[in-house]
Amino acid sequence: MHINEDEKLKGSNEVHQEVDDVTQIKYFGGHEFDGIKELDNPLPPWLKYLFYVTIVISFSYLVLVFIFKDDSIIQRKEYYKEMAAAKAETEVAVKEEAGKAAAQPLTQEQILAAGKTIFDKTCLVCHGRFGEGLVGPNFTDEYWIHGGRPEDLHKVIVEGVLDKGMISYKSQLNETQINNVIAYILSLQGTNPPNQKAAQGEKFVRE
Amino acid sequence: MELQKFSYDNRITRNFAIATIVWGVVGLVAGLLIALQIFIPSMNFGLEFTTFGRTRPVHTNAVIFAFVGNAIFTAVYYSLQRLLKTRIYSDRLSKIHFWGWQSIIVAAAVTLLAGFTTGKEYAELEWPIDIAITVIWVIFGWNMFGTILQRRTSHIYVSIWFYIATWVTVAVLHIFNSLALPVSFLKSYTLYAGIQDALVQWWYGHNAVAFFLTTPFLGMMYYFVPKASGRPVYSYKLSIVHFWSLIFLYIWAGPHHLLYSSLPDWLQALGTTFSVMLIAPSWGGMINGLLTLRGAWDKVRKEPVLKMFVVGITAYGMSTFEGPMMSFKTVNAISHFTDWTIGHVHIGALGWNGLLTFGMIYWLIPRLYNTKLYSNKLANVHFWVATLGIVFYAVPLYIGGITQALMWKQFTPDGFLMYPNFLETVTQLIPMYTIRAFGGALYVSGFFILIYNIVKTIKVGSFVAEEEAQAPALHSESETKTQSESWHRFLERKPIRFLIFATIAILIGGIIEVIPTYLIKSNIPTISSVKPYTPLELQGRDIYVKEGCYNCHSQMIRPFRSETERYGEYSKSGEFVYDHPFQFGSKRTGPDLAREGVKTGKIYKPNSWHYNHFIDPQKMNEASIMPPYPWLAKKEIDIQSTPGKIRAMKMLGVPYPENYEHQAIADLKAQADSIAKDLAAAGIQTDSNREIIALIAYIQRLGVDISNKPEKK
Repeated sequence: MHINEDEKLKGSNEVHQEVDDVTQIKYFGGHEFDGIKELDNPLPPWLKYLFYVTIVISFSYLVLVFIFKDDSIIQRKEYYKEMAAAKAETEVAVKEEAGKAAAQPLTQEQILAAGKTIFDKTCLVCHGRFGEGLVGPNFTDEYWIHGGRPEDLHKVIVEGVLDKGMISYKSQLNETQINNVIAYILSLQGTNPPNQKAAQGEKFVRE
Repeated sequence: MELQKFSYDNRITRNFAIATIVWGVVGLVAGLLIALQIFIPSMNFGLEFTTFGRTRPVHTNAVIFAFVGNAIFTAVYYSLQRLLKTRIYSDRLSKIHFWGWQSIIVAAAVTLLAGFTTGKEYAELEWPIDIAITVIWVIFGWNMFGTILQRRTSHIYVSIWFYIATWVTVAVLHIFNSLALPVSFLKSYTLYAGIQDALVQWWYGHNAVAFFLTTPFLGMMYYFVPKASGRPVYSYKLSIVHFWSLIFLYIWAGPHHLLYSSLPDWLQALGTTFSVMLIAPSWGGMINGLLTLRGAWDKVRKEPVLKMFVVGITAYGMSTFEGPMMSFKTVNAISHFTDWTIGHVHIGALGWNGLLTFGMIYWLIPRLYNTKLYSNKLANVHFWVATLGIVFYAVPLYIGGITQALMWKQFTPDGFLMYPNFLETVTQLIPMYTIRAFGGALYVSGFFILIYNIVKTIKVGSFVAEEEAQAPALHSESETKTQSESWHRFLERKPIRFLIFATIAILIGGIIEVIPTYLIKSNIPTISSVKPYTPLELQGRDIYVKEGCYNCHSQMIRPFRSETERYGEYSKSGEFVYDHPFQFGSKRTGPDLAREGVKTGKIYKPNSWHYNHFIDPQKMNEASIMPPYPWLAKKEIDIQSTPGKIRAMKMLGVPYPENYEHQAIADLKAQADSIAKDLAAAGIQTDSNREIIALIAYIQRLGVDISNKPEKK
């Protein structure tokens, strides 16, 4: 690296005594290039020290990585740590949530509203905005491929129907959310939206 | 001392200046188009040639290599002659350089729109064009060194140091990153695979910024700022220190584009640290530029040229501070894959490269035409419009980038993603994209003001093709040598030695970073379940590359909870060993696709979904901003190219069985038929020889290998 060059350059006797009128600083070298002169200013000290500081920081970091193989820098270990912390955190939160839910159950309207929010984020991609069916089956008619009871829907959402492209949502939706969205889906029965997909599966008669 | 008479060639400077303006229009308008496409899918016009995946490379290539490239050559051809007190070495080489470069640009634009691409960002051009670039670059170097060697000055000025470093480094970067095995006239596979390809590509990509957008512009700054202000350069010593430290350190910083990817930790650490060490050398350039204006600030108030220089140099200082900040892994975890990066590069591109170029043009054209600028007032208006344009461009992208990253990372208290649907995080950004397009439109309109002003200026003036000059012949060596000359003064008299030292400085970092990934196996642990692509998947992958899917979709899941929860298992380096080229992507306008094909995964979709989605994404989700790709269902797969592609892959070390190329077409057809049959079962009738089938096959392969547990076999 070339940090100390300006020290060496000081020794040079090339410096002429010509001076810039405006700043009263000496020109360097007594030469010019197409009329351009260069001043004999030293490096601004703050810049020099900034450079030293970044070098020191950088090399300390490299020592941590290469010699101490510090855990906080190995990203695989960082990831395990993050996951463990998240797991501990969510366990507590889930318990609290369950306590709250038991104390103050949602009204039917709130359940349907919560279910719609989930549906609009997740389900509409394949089942259409109004549940009319797109790649996935129609939710508004009386025909169901895997059964029309809430527990049938629950099974499909949790386990998925992988061969047909329905993935498992157990890692994306919690139990309450699943139940909310089932309630919403079942509320779509008979809404008769436009562009419905043709019936698939068995006619399901609700008791 | 006897004065020698000679003349400077202004024709070549003028030609490059006009080319700069012409390609500036193309690059900027293309930029505005893609800024609109990103929130108005119909702006893709439903044509394969004008979809975002192809227009975005046209924008980046046009701005970098056509607009900035021609600006560099304008500056070099003008300043080199005057700084060395000699005419350019060869008018014929100048002409070949000029027309060669313009032909390359035209070829680039045509082939990119037609879908011929290597799939490596900023190096998308196919192998024949790469060879042409190499030839023209050598001609440029020949002409430049010819001029330097016949100079009438004893030493070479700091601008020329930067030109020399630019020339050699761009040559090295371009050649090594472009090494590829051709399979046909406009199709090749890069020699490097997966992580190695990513490393070489970003060694190139980062240093394209360093040695194409930065060092030549520093050279330009060191000439035009003192000339336009009439002030001496602030510090010769600073020039030396920041020049050598900049070129030595820059080359190491490439891996900061791959932080938290499956690049080995030690390489990422080098990327971070060398970026941090770059702050002071970069700022050295800014300080030397700005402080050169000491004593001329009253002039700056009046002169639009100097105003542009000041804001341009300041933008350089800002983006070279921001860059190292983004190289900290904690910051990068937020900024990467978002619009923050786009905002960052445009501070540099619009501010530093744009404004410096505009300032140069306003200063230069009147001098070439022996007149005054038609309107200083209009130039002032341009300055303000451009500066406001930059603000309106960058600020919304910073806000949008951070917003989206935080939305990606947001969890509900009970441990689920708050925004599991990626699209939600995109629709949130639409207002920001709208403001950004407004900023871009401002900047473009400023450029049209420049064109009007320059055309008017040219009309009034009369072109000075040959500018008379005189200077004494170069003294003999013994006369120029002073007794206690510093080593650097010595080097400035010896341009070839200067070139050699600069080459050594820029090679060290690359060698230390790139070579161990080839030689040391532990850098890329192999995964036994990862197998080569089937012939149909390989064809599909080529379509993925051709359509430029990597411009919006990444294939690199970082080891974050927010990513493994959204997409699945984080990416491992061993997964990519058969990927020529790698397709990690650098921006997530759409979701990551690295686990798209994993049936038990979090984002799997059936073939029929993909089919419908490619044909009409808005049908599947009306808020989607992806352009439709209906031609994929019409165009046929180029089946006959399959054996050649398999053979090429085998030459690159992909372990297909012996004589597999003879089996490949039959296998391809069988797999295509099974996908067509599956689509038919879902009510979609399509021939099995369509491109869409191959693309679906490839998409459904993504991430599958690693999810197959080895013990199943």
